[in-house]
Amino acid sequence: MSIISQDAPGKTVLLMGNEAIARGALEAGIKVCAAYPGNPSSEITGSLSGVADEFGLHVEWSVNEKVALEVATAASFAGLRGLCTMKQNGLNVASDFLLNLNLSGCEAGLVLVVADDPGALSSTNEEDSRAFAKLGDFPLLEPATFQEAKEMTKWAFDLSEDLGLPVLVRTVTRVSHARGNVLLDELPRLTKKPLFDTSKPRVALPVLLNHELLRDKLRRAGEVFETSPFNFFRGPEKPELLIITCGSGWMYSLEAVINLDLSERVGILKIGTTWPLPEQMVLNHLKKVKHVLFVEEVNPFLENSVKEFFAQNCGDLGVKRFSGKASGTLPDIGELSPDIVISRLQDILKVSYEPLPAEYALRAKEISAQLVPERPLGFCAGCPHRATYWAIKNALALDGRNGFVAGDIGCYSLGMGPSGFSQMKTLHAMGSGAGLAGGFGQLNAFGFDQPVIAVCGDSTFYHAVMPALTNASYNKSNLLLLLLDNSATAMTGFQPHPGTGKTATGHEAPILDLEVICKALGAQVEMGDPFEVEGTTETILRLLQDVEGVKVLILRRECALVRGRTQKKLFNMEVEQDLCLGEKCGCNRLCTRVFKCPGLIWDTIADRAGIDEAICTGCGVCADICPSLAIRKEVV
Amino acid sequence: MNGGFRALEEKVFDRDLCVSCGACVSLCPYLRSWQGRTVKLDDCDLAEGRCFDYCPRGRVDLDELHRKLFGGPYKEMEIGKVLNVFMARARDSVWTGKAQNGGVVSALTDLAIKEGIIDAAVLTGRGTNLLPKGHIATDREDIFACAGSIYTSGPTLEALNRGPWNGDERIGVVGLPCMVLALAKMRTSSLETQTPIDRVEMVIGLFCTWALDYKSFMAFLRERFGDLPIGKVDIAPPPERLMKITAGDELHHIPLDEVRGFIRSGCHVCADMTSEFSDISVGTVEGEEGWNTLLVRTERGEELVKLAESQTVIESRPLPGDKLSHLREASLLKKRRAIDAMRDRGGLEEGYLTLSQELIRQIQSESKEGA
Ligand SMILES: Cc1cc2nc3c(=O)[nH]c(=O)nc-3n(C[C@H](O)[C@H](O)[C@H](O)COP(=O)(O)OP(=O)(O)OC[C@H]3O[C@@H](n4cnc5c(N)ncnc54)[C@H](O)[C@@H]3O)c2cc1C
Repeated sequence: MSIISQDAPGKTVLLMGNEAIARGALEAGIKVCAAYPGNPSSEITGSLSGVADEFGLHVEWSVNEKVALEVATAASFAGLRGLCTMKQNGLNVASDFLLNLNLSGCEAGLVLVVADDPGALSSTNEEDSRAFAKLGDFPLLEPATFQEAKEMTKWAFDLSEDLGLPVLVRTVTRVSHARGNVLLDELPRLTKKPLFDTSKPRVALPVLLNHELLRDKLRRAGEVFETSPFNFFRGPEKPELLIITCGSGWMYSLEAVINLDLSERVGILKIGTTWPLPEQMVLNHLKKVKHVLFVEEVNPFLENSVKEFFAQNCGDLGVKRFSGKASGTLPDIGELSPDIVISRLQDILKVSYEPLPAEYALRAKEISAQLVPERPLGFCAGCPHRATYWAIKNALALDGRNGFVAGDIGCYSLGMGPSGFSQMKTLHAMGSGAGLAGGFGQLNAFGFDQPVIAVCGDSTFYHAVMPALTNASYNKSNLLLLLLDNSATAMTGFQPHPGTGKTATGHEAPILDLEVICKALGAQVEMGDPFEVEGTTETILRLLQDVEGVKVLILRRECALVRGRTQKKLFNMEVEQDLCLGEKCGCNRLCTRVFKCPGLIWDTIADRAGIDEAICTGCGVCADICPSLAIRKEVV
Repeated sequence: MNGGFRALEEKVFDRDLCVSCGACVSLCPYLRSWQGRTVKLDDCDLAEGRCFDYCPRGRVDLDELHRKLFGGPYKEMEIGKVLNVFMARARDSVWTGKAQNGGVVSALTDLAIKEGIIDAAVLTGRGTNLLPKGHIATDREDIFACAGSIYTSGPTLEALNRGPWNGDERIGVVGLPCMVLALAKMRTSSLETQTPIDRVEMVIGLFCTWALDYKSFMAFLRERFGDLPIGKVDIAPPPERLMKITAGDELHHIPLDEVRGFIRSGCHVCADMTSEFSDISVGTVEGEEGWNTLLVRTERGEELVKLAESQTVIESRPLPGDKLSHLREASLLKKRRAIDAMRDRGGLEEGYLTLSQELIRQIQSESKEGA
């Protein structure tokens, strides 16, 4: 049984923030959950997929976030509660639908959980998704604790149903991925026959009327928020400084205040319902202080909302000082931490604080450096992407026209770094590699002669590359797309997708054949094996130089991690050290200096290459690139 | 320390001086020949490398090379050291038509293999799309396939480096002056070579004024002749100044000025027209269709030529005096131009083409008089 499906009201369990959100959805009685994976959101739907059969839910990995939101919305329209989850970039994909859905409204509770990634630890941007709440007039909740993650999610469904409007829940990495105690509630087991009420068409039109209704709903949300238990104050009646905070900022602020022993001087107003503002509550607190510090992740969202509100009411409130990201008091890029909040409080309130002796921090760093081996950001041992980039690198070098890779979102995004031999030169949204490459392909008429190779993974292909490919075919572009089919959504944790023959819940699904799709979209398709490095290099060169039009080369090899779980090694690898030239002219450590598979090690005693048996996955590629045939592969 | 690959990049590639002789290719994984170019695949940071050591566009100390290979300083500034000069042609009609001029190169190579002087010869043949490619020839059929000149430069020495060799063959090489110079550098290198250079028993050098860049010349041919198969290509020197190209069934005459733009930039700094470090050098005889000029430079070259004469493999005649002096002039002119070009590129001071100041002055003044 899964930890989130325990039917044990009153019991306290240790849950990851994302599991708490999933539990909240279960306690709210959802029937449908649809999502596209993306860190730090993936475990919400991931854990629900594990209990789908047990609870009779429909849980799916949709091909992209927009479709996911549409699927969850359909459930709501038909009277069943629906959940949709995604990461911050995903909201951009879903936004076109979302910004019409606000006008049409919804029926049963519909909650959209968006997990933001402050500091962009596993993202291409550190977008603050809360902007969409303002943009589309959605109520916005931000959990600060694990218990709240569950409670808020659950309540969000009630609120959504109440208002007839989807509710956004914004979480951040430190809430989603940390663990804490959560007190469980009842799990309802409702059955309801879904029905779409045809007398209530769900259309955005007439826009002005619906817009007015939407504004009303939002005002109503503001009223409800005034008494929400997710908003509370901790501190003295008249604090010298008021911290207004939300989400993970609450824990950071609390820690700072306690550590600095400032509970008598600093008050914390923790807001869980960050849009629309609980205005009366904010007003009451503003009256009592002269100086306010805002602690929140990524953008000065609360900060600017409160300042706007203050500007409306400044006649009654008098002069205030506002500090935060917008004022430059806190860094406005990257992730916050308790240390950052502590140091700002020290500055503002002139208190001194010795966190830990300076040498302690130094020693801790030294010791951890000894314990943790240095691991540069790169592809795993035996990863087919390394071999693919090797072929790309050689093909582009031989081609000699200053070619480059237009990249996309997935493990292969690492192609911009040393592990992909720095071949990737553009990286934006899902599908943008193929889109950009299709655009570059139109520039030949103006004399552009650099070859461009688009790369995308299998999951990304279904997500957003198909329109780009269709466009390139239709508009007669010159495009070479390498479809790196590793049969997994590897970057986000091996979720199945339309090419894998499995659904989110582990059931069988039809395989949507990439080759057939690409052909149908007008591309010339070839198949290749990335482990055949020389052959792949030649194919790439031929397709770049001799074949006009839209070409797709499908390079198929299972992700090394998936392969490692299900199959044995292809080869036993061994370095014949007598043959290895090592640092001598003729090799200069090609395998450990340039190719750099983590399965290869530099044996400093012998001054020769070696194999790290524990890490090597036996793909055999290094044997093919060794100039002196010193690396031997033996079929297992 | 010679600076290794980084020096090769900075001094040769970046100045566009590489002529793709292939001397640095197939020695390591970082360099590859592709469509007439030597391509860097990855960076190598060794402070010393064979690539730069063997490069004919790297540092060259003619005096030192000469001393090591011919036992004396570099003095013969026009056509290098020679033991014997004459003109000749192959007797066997099998070479006629396929060979470029008199077929002497092919006939001598054939004889050397037949007599066991060498077991194999590294030649240059036309690959797909006329791409010059090094070939290891072990019989007459191979030699025949490679007969005739390819006027684009290609990585002949890559085949020497790559093999495959058993390790005991004696090897002959036919190459352009840049290749012959590279072989001389390989032979005298102080680095651990790991190449079969010690087993190179015969070097036949070709005369060469310049070679063309493969890609741009191919584009030109395609534009001119479309998909017509290209047959023999020949050059008629001044006063004709033509490139004669057989495309399809027709012979076309193209003014040399139209192809000059495709001359490899690295050829402009080459001071050697007659492959001065060969055993035997072979070129055309101006105004004598079907004959070759031969410069015999070493004892073993002399032996092979004598054998060829005695077995009536070639017939020879003295080279008329005016032809020899014309050859000297042309050769000197190439040197003078190379010195100027090297100076323009700042390579003279850096030790590329080390000639004594005196020799340089002499070359410059004499070739002016001759021109
Ligand atoms: C690029 C080039 C420029 C030349 N310029 C001149 C010149 O200015 N004046 C002059 O007198 N002669 C020049 N020659 C030499 C001339 O064309 C003949 O090769 C020479 O006279 C020998 O003739 P043959 O009939 O004996 O050759 P063949 O019996 O036909 O044998 C020719 C040999 O040349 C080799 N060869 C062909 N192309 C190349 C190449 N690109 N690189 C290396 N080896 C090659 C082949 O391996 C073959 O073995 C040049 C040759 C080349 C390839």
